Amino acid sequence: MLLVLTMVLALAACGGSGKTTETQAPAAAGTEAAPADAGSEKVTLDVIISQYGNYTQAWWTDFEQNFEAANKDIDLNIEIVSWNDIYSIVTTRISNNDQPDILNISGFADYVADDLLMPATEYTSEALQANFIDSFWASNEMDGTVWALPILASCRALFVNTELLNGAGITAAPTTWEEVVTACDAIKATYGDTVVPWGLDISTDEGQAAFAYYTWNFGGGFVDANGDWALNSAENVQAVEFIKSMIDGGYCNAAPYTDTRYPLQDAFSAGTLAMMIGPMNMVSSTSTVKYEAVSIPGNGVGLGVCDQLMVFKDPAVKEQDPARTAAISKFFDAFYECETYSDYMVYEGFLPATKDASDNLAKNAEKYTVGGDSGATGSSEYFATFCAVLPTCSFYPMQKAEWMDVRNGVIDVEQQVCQGLISAQDALDALQAEVVG
Amino acid sequence: MKNRAKPETLRTMKKIEPYIWLLPSILMMGCMIMIPIFNVFRASVTEISKVGVYKEFNGFANYISVFKKQTFWHTLQNTVVWTIVVVGLSTLIGFILALVLNVEFHGRKLVRAVIVFPWATALIIQSVVWKYIINADYGALNALLYNLGIIDHYVNWTATPGAFFAWECFVGIFVTVPFVTFCVLSGLQSIDASLYEACKVDGASFWAQLFKVTVPLVMPSLTVSTVLNIIYVFNSFPIVWTISKGDPADQTHTLVTYLYDLSFSNGKFGEAAAVSVIGFLILAACASVYMILSLRAEQED
Repeated sequence: MLLVLTMVLALAACGGSGKTTETQAPAAAGTEAAPADAGSEKVTLDVIISQYGNYTQAWWTDFEQNFEAANKDIDLNIEIVSWNDIYSIVTTRISNNDQPDILNISGFADYVADDLLMPATEYTSEALQANFIDSFWASNEMDGTVWALPILASCRALFVNTELLNGAGITAAPTTWEEVVTACDAIKATYGDTVVPWGLDISTDEGQAAFAYYTWNFGGGFVDANGDWALNSAENVQAVEFIKSMIDGGYCNAAPYTDTRYPLQDAFSAGTLAMMIGPMNMVSSTSTVKYEAVSIPGNGVGLGVCDQLMVFKDPAVKEQDPARTAAISKFFDAFYECETYSDYMVYEGFLPATKDASDNLAKNAEKYTVGGDSGATGSSEYFATFCAVLPTCSFYPMQKAEWMDVRNGVIDVEQQVCQGLISAQDALDALQAEVVG
Repeated sequence: MKNRAKPETLRTMKKIEPYIWLLPSILMMGCMIMIPIFNVFRASVTEISKVGVYKEFNGFANYISVFKKQTFWHTLQNTVVWTIVVVGLSTLIGFILALVLNVEFHGRKLVRAVIVFPWATALIIQSVVWKYIINADYGALNALLYNLGIIDHYVNWTATPGAFFAWECFVGIFVTVPFVTFCVLSGLQSIDASLYEACKVDGASFWAQLFKVTVPLVMPSLTVSTVLNIIYVFNSFPIVWTISKGDPADQTHTLVTYLYDLSFSNGKFGEAAAVSVIGFLILAACASVYMILSLRAEQED
């Protein structure tokens, strides 16, 4: 038992000491060798990038080489980390005072709470700031300060297998929750056990997304019109009860508590799952399934997901080193440069967060290739459609300090209610009291 | 003339020598075990922010908030059930298997080799494979039973948290049995055949032979395997984490998965460290009982 924690701590300690000497080396050299000219001093930037696909590493290796060739005085140290591990890795590094310089992750409020981040305006030029799509730039604001940059966006829609639906006598994709139930009944009656009608993931992996899909489209949500937590609204109770009724009705995959989105996406791509809500790039490129992506039933509110890039203060110094800040600015200017950034968006299959790349991709996406060996190129039509949809999406209230507790809390609520341990009203009342009280 | 060390220096060298040889392992244990243990104890009495920044000493606040959680008590109960069921049943099954494998028959070597498989495969792989075998929608178990005509529709094998946990115990037993079997088998093979001949001459029944000769003589191997298994199984992480992550609704956690979940999913590092210390104390108590018993046994000898 201790071993789990001890090993992580021990490993972190080993990794930690190595990294610190590396980052501190230039500073030490600078103070000792007085006459050395400033130009020859190398700034090392530790960058952690999350792994968006199987080919993320290759793109960043190229980026690193190009960037270092163009900026001889900067040494980039880019590490690609999977979503499974990224939070534990970053946390262990912070507790060892060895935070990266630049981090790509989802959520920043906890870092702001511990005063670890630099405000975004300190390392971005005004031109770059103005280039971000306004709502994305504003979504990273907390207490009047913007703390992070949007790296990319994606939005969620309802995916339906049109062949399976037609075979069951349903001609159009459902637009209301009643129609969802009707379609599920028809699919169940037609295909029996061989097809799962409705994919549901209320696992700890991403159960908060399910909470968002259903509550928003029943008229509720995480917060009220003033932006205050409103977890126990009547609409939310109704939404959670609806999730339970979908499980009890036998419409869902058998293990929604542990099935993450990924096996469900595979099942959808294989044609054994008829409907699920998922991200726009969820269907496997090798899939032969005929499908369409439509608005989520109910109010048609999609979930927008926007991950961030953020900069940590150097914990070793009081006054931030201007050379380091300048190097960080150069990194962002290079990354968000229209051609480079457009290329990365097509490569990973996400939507851009800058204005010039959105315009560019709506016209010229065919110029860029998708990651991997398929040789496929981007589709301008796809970018034009989804970039237009994006403004209608809602986002998680990540800028609120209690977000991580709420995220875990709503997953607990879903699981407890669907297990029949507690009523939806009681569970949501308790969570609201815990978060607000 | 040759240099000769004085007898006294030789003698002191002799005295120090064992410690020099031990030094690397002592250093290793210090760095890899003692320091981390100290760190966990320190973390358990410290307020730590969600992203891992150490704030201040907060006494027993972490322990108190852990004790207030219903999930903790349920988890503790699960851990006891998990340890007793997995260690108990695998010891029983392993013992019986060892008795069978000790009998001469054709293909015995093959069977012995097959029995090692679950043990020789990485635990994490075993867990992933079993997770997919029992999956109701696309699992191999349902497909197999359905195609054989044993079931007429897919069964949800993990409908309740209890069912989940039972499967996890099953996988735990499945991977633990080989270890017990081989421990007991080695004990069985060291028993002198003449003892069994004596039994035959005296006309002892099978049960008398089992409980009067076999069991007492394999007892030392059984004790070793049981004590080791209690520690392994109590601390086992991959099976529960891979199959259910403690879900649904935190109903299938054991202490280790619970503390991992607390720290790395919920950002409650102080509380996780407190759970870790509690688990450490429980195991330390079990280990000291074993030490006392075995020391007493030695004295009696």
